[in-house]
Amino acid sequence: MVQSCDRCESPATVHLTEIRNGEKAESHLCEECARALHVPQPSKELQKLLESFSPGSGKQSSKPSATATCPDCGMSYAEFRQTGRFGCAKDYEIFGADLVKLLEKIHRSSTYTGKSPSGDRVEQGELIDAMRRARRRLESAIEAEDYEEAARLRDEIRRMNPGAEGDASQEGGA
Amino acid sequence: MSFGDQASLFPDGPNGLHLPELWLQQEGPEADVVVSTRMRLARNVEGFHFKSRFKEGESERLEAYLREVLLEAEPRFRYHSMPALSSTEREVMFERHLVSREHVGDEQPRGVAFAPDGRTSVMVNEEDHLRIQAFAPGFDLESVDQRVNALDDDVAGRVRYCFDARFGYRTSCPTNTGTGLRTSVMMHLPALALRPAGNTKGRDRDLVRMRNAAEELGLTVRGLFGESSRAEGDFFQISNQVTLGRSPAQTLQDVRELVKLVVEWERSNREAHLRDDPGRLDDHVWRAWGLLTHARRLSSSEALSHLSALRLGAQLDIFHEVRTPVIQSLMVNLRPAHLQLRAERELEPDERDELRARLIRDALGSSTR
Ligand SMILES: [Zn+2]
Ligand SMILES: [Zn+2]
Repeated sequence: MVQSCDRCESPATVHLTEIRNGEKAESHLCEECARALHVPQPSKELQKLLESFSPGSGKQSSKPSATATCPDCGMSYAEFRQTGRFGCAKDYEIFGADLVKLLEKIHRSSTYTGKSPSGDRVEQGELIDAMRRARRRLESAIEAEDYEEAARLRDEIRRMNPGAEGDASQEGGA
Repeated sequence: MSFGDQASLFPDGPNGLHLPELWLQQEGPEADVVVSTRMRLARNVEGFHFKSRFKEGESERLEAYLREVLLEAEPRFRYHSMPALSSTEREVMFERHLVSREHVGDEQPRGVAFAPDGRTSVMVNEEDHLRIQAFAPGFDLESVDQRVNALDDDVAGRVRYCFDARFGYRTSCPTNTGTGLRTSVMMHLPALALRPAGNTKGRDRDLVRMRNAAEELGLTVRGLFGESSRAEGDFFQISNQVTLGRSPAQTLQDVRELVKLVVEWERSNREAHLRDDPGRLDDHVWRAWGLLTHARRLSSSEALSHLSALRLGAQLDIFHEVRTPVIQSLMVNLRPAHLQLRAERELEPDERDELRARLIRDALGSSTR
């Protein structure tokens, strides 16, 4: 028996098992719908990112780090942009707002979550990450016209700390 | 010649080269689809510049310092300074996954420490001051996670890492900033590639599905050997990209989910082949066997793609001439530097291909007429 696509009448050729919130969800799609639902994002190669990133661009950057040079190792932001490599750990402070924006482009976050050398855990990034993931799921639920799931996700996002909203909305605009 | 005993294969080289055990010979969890699991942490030490800005004599001092630290942390470690090794020996280290491609050719003072079982290694003065790595056969995130973090925590008690709560571990490249963690799972996906004759669309469709699922989770999928998107021997590597804002636990969970999904796809494709056209699979495997046991010259990539077919045959139990561990060890031992180390001299490409073909015939137990 030929299974038909979940979204249209064409025969389903793509059979997906997705894991959402720990639960398995099966979907059967034709190739066209499968493609429509999973638009691949452009590759995030670092070099392209660095090149596309003119230093000091954007209205909110207070001091242009284009001219910032590390007093310790002599690395300038301009050179960092070319090579993609820091000269020393201090550059992270010297390059300021431009670096934060670059890290957000690469990782979609600039706030650490993980362990520390002393064995403590640093967790401020975790909620932001969870919220962002929920937002992405919400977008695909809307795209898939799964309004029940979308409503559930909207509630889930609302329940999360509103303090993290700023970061998440910033990123939505990027 | 036996491929079982690695120690006797490579007696200490001219510079007293030590090689660890070939752990890839062992079969781990989900061995039918997953070849190996790897995890690394990038770390830098306070008081030293990063590699791109080392001052005169700084890299020598750093290497000597970190060598001491590592040997104190783990007395069983062997340590090699890379410049003290021949270029063939350095390449062998690369072919064993102990060091990166960059670590082989670079001019800087640098080194590698590794456990005798080859399952833990540390690169010193690679892109970061320390690259701590752990490996396991099969799909075993827990094992690599436990070992790489145990060593990292030990070293953290002996040196001051470049770390703050805002950015996490400060690394040389912004793509590693944060956790400095990269975990990679090497998968063997021949059935996703093997399609009914004339249908090449199916392969692409499944690979596109795999890549899309990966993107969704902030992961990447790469062909293993060479940078081309066409994976030689149908080996693929799944790894994480995001190191900032996502906890290591979440990252491992993402990798686990994707790998499980891909394992299911591969298995169901294998079942479909066995059900729909077992004769074709049979032919695929035995053809590879015929070639490998009779060819007189074999290039690396040709050998790899036929060994891939044998691995599939062995895992599907349609082929009993050779077991997976022998195939796995061949895949490492037939790489160019391993051949040259065995021959104890540089080899021309044709000589390499001939030696490779001979070793395969020996290992597969066929006549060497
Ligand atoms: Zn459809
Ligand atoms: Zn600096």
